[in-house]
Amino acid sequence: MSQNQTVIPQEFNLPAGVRPVTGLDGIPCLELATQMTTLYWQTYGEQSRFFQALIEGRLIGAKCPQCQMVLVPPMTWNCPDCGFTDMEEVVLPHHGLLAATAPITIFPPAGQHGNAPYARGYVDVAVDVAKASFLPARLITTTGLPRPGIFVKGVKLKLVFKDEREGRITDIFWVPWDEIPEGLRDIEPLLASQLQFEDPKPPVIKRPFEEVFTAVRDLAVKAVRSPRAVENLKAVGTRRIGVWVGGGEFTLSIQNGCLEVKRVSDPGVDFVIQADDPNVFLKWANGGSLSDPAAEGSLWLPNTEAFGILPALDRVPRSVRRDEGEGKLSPES
Amino acid sequence: MNRVGIVGAGITECRSRWVEATYWKLFQMAVRAALEDAKMTAAELDAVVYGIYNDMFEHMAIPESALTGWISMGLKPGVRVTNGGATGFYAMRAAYMEVASGLSDIVLCVGGEKATDCFDPQSGTPTPAVVGVIAQSWDPFYEYPLGATASDSYMGKCMAYNDAYPGDIGDGLVRAQMIEMLCRQGNRNPFGQRRKETVTAEQVLASRWIIAPFLRLLEACMYTEGAGALIFANEQKTLEICQRTGRQPIWVKGVGAANEPYAVGRGSDNLMELPRIKSDHLAAYRAYEMAGVQPSDIQIVEVHDAFVAQLMITMGELGFVLMGKTRALIDDGVMADIQKLGDEGRPEPGQVLINPSGGLIFGGHFVGGSNMFSTWSAIREMRRRQVPLSLVHGTGAINAAYGGAMILELGEEVRA
Ligand SMILES: [Zn+2]
Repeated sequence: MSQNQTVIPQEFNLPAGVRPVTGLDGIPCLELATQMTTLYWQTYGEQSRFFQALIEGRLIGAKCPQCQMVLVPPMTWNCPDCGFTDMEEVVLPHHGLLAATAPITIFPPAGQHGNAPYARGYVDVAVDVAKASFLPARLITTTGLPRPGIFVKGVKLKLVFKDEREGRITDIFWVPWDEIPEGLRDIEPLLASQLQFEDPKPPVIKRPFEEVFTAVRDLAVKAVRSPRAVENLKAVGTRRIGVWVGGGEFTLSIQNGCLEVKRVSDPGVDFVIQADDPNVFLKWANGGSLSDPAAEGSLWLPNTEAFGILPALDRVPRSVRRDEGEGKLSPES
Repeated sequence: MNRVGIVGAGITECRSRWVEATYWKLFQMAVRAALEDAKMTAAELDAVVYGIYNDMFEHMAIPESALTGWISMGLKPGVRVTNGGATGFYAMRAAYMEVASGLSDIVLCVGGEKATDCFDPQSGTPTPAVVGVIAQSWDPFYEYPLGATASDSYMGKCMAYNDAYPGDIGDGLVRAQMIEMLCRQGNRNPFGQRRKETVTAEQVLASRWIIAPFLRLLEACMYTEGAGALIFANEQKTLEICQRTGRQPIWVKGVGAANEPYAVGRGSDNLMELPRIKSDHLAAYRAYEMAGVQPSDIQIVEVHDAFVAQLMITMGELGFVLMGKTRALIDDGVMADIQKLGDEGRPEPGQVLINPSGGLIFGGHFVGGSNMFSTWSAIREMRRRQVPLSLVHGTGAINAAYGGAMILELGEEVRA
């Protein structure tokens, strides 16, 4: 049992009382501070074995002797597919595959205050059998906060145990296999203290500026040939936009539905947009959007004028792709 | 089975919070509106089905017990249904069954929710408390302690769908355009919670992420307080009442439901498959089979749109667009534009009017009665546009496990 910790946090309470309140109709009403709370000593019952094993640093499941289905966690020890036949304990490996790309929660419910952002996913542990449940899992990276692109479908994960365990699902978590130093990958159980979570190294920008510049220039060349993209660009009017990214600068010139990319930064631009990570523009050129990184904060915009043209720019690579798919690109000049 | 009609429908105004009314009053308001709609009195009702999702929101265990007298159903049979987000649909299914079986002639079905009296002292707002109560839908051993929420579970489904069918729901602009269209529809709903709001695609794209990359703030359904009531009747009573009201009858032509299992996995019907919303698919196709119709016969749908990305997948699962190509809703104009249809126009061939109420995102989402709200709207639109068929859909529970679909038919006018 935890010392000094209560099931309901001390600050999670309301002063007792009744107070006036007025709603949409403007009629004076009253409201009552009240609660509907139950405390529990909730039995783990048949789930206990799984948590007892976690305390011991083991991961177990239930296996059906008839159909070979493996349940992890063993939410039942009687196979629902085989007339509730008794299932047998099976020891499972401390690695698995993420069954589907995991969502990352930014706005947590009451009770998860201070934990966000967190990633919750399903780990396929019993990969060798045809029928298996997936383990609900907390996903943690040694490279900082969880963020899109790390916990994607199929990524191999290593099971990590907290050093101090008391029999909770949060006694364990999963870390990308590639982040585990080679000498530690075969250790079972691997303890959290054996990994380095403090001072995560920022990711290396993988794509050099040249590659990004080439992708944007290729997009511009195709956009001129795409009737849809030309329409999109006409909506922008005449604009010269400076683009400063980590590694270099270029200029987007838009006129009469035509997009031109110049390597040099042009002093006469209407405004400059900026991103540390040039991949923002690589993703855009490959069919992504500029609005998204703008909303996510990775693309900096000086004013609402810049923001206002993003939807049109967003459409350009998609239009090129659609016209290309439908064979509607005009011939190369 | 006996033929069953819906003879009355009534809903309250949808509000983010009703300070002026408890759920007792809200349910009574909805019942009164449905009875007025059917030109009936409560004395003609044989029994009642209550849809109430969660005792913690009503702050009363056995919450329906307090309603019995105040909705004038004293000394009559009543049963409460609770099935997560699909509570409304399942209550309607129970009311339908009671009439179809012949056990009762006329059954009241009323559902609603009082969600935002909840309060979180740490943030000083209701929302984390509401999210927290809904999070109690997960088990205490595995999922709840990991921080499961309604948003992250539906987004988990969307992520898995995107893994299986890349390049469909991921285009924020397509989703934003759907929101803009839903907003315009919601503007026409006199009871809608956000009827005075204008939301453009640009505003959607500029709104903050709830869960990237499929859910921004303006893509999510609301928490609503309100209630909705429907009156189900057998064939004879339906014809009698329609004579009284001078309106075309609404027949329940098909009902289908399916619940997926709780644990996620692969290879067994007793484990949930992630990339699909199978419950939606099975429910709808069971309803189509019973009704003897195809999705292409149906031009009005009221789909339970908890989130737009999920609405897209659901439209695929219901068979209106192909799985993996649900962006055809916008790209190919499958989603009818209310600006062109106006108040009485019929959708063009190949088009579907999706959530003319504004759906759960703009209209309202009082969980226990949201599907009654959808049905109220489907009936209203069938009558004013003279569209012969509509579909009402409900979904709910963890990872969209519960699914239901009801197909309604606009009947011939009844002559005296
Ligand atoms: Zn078995």
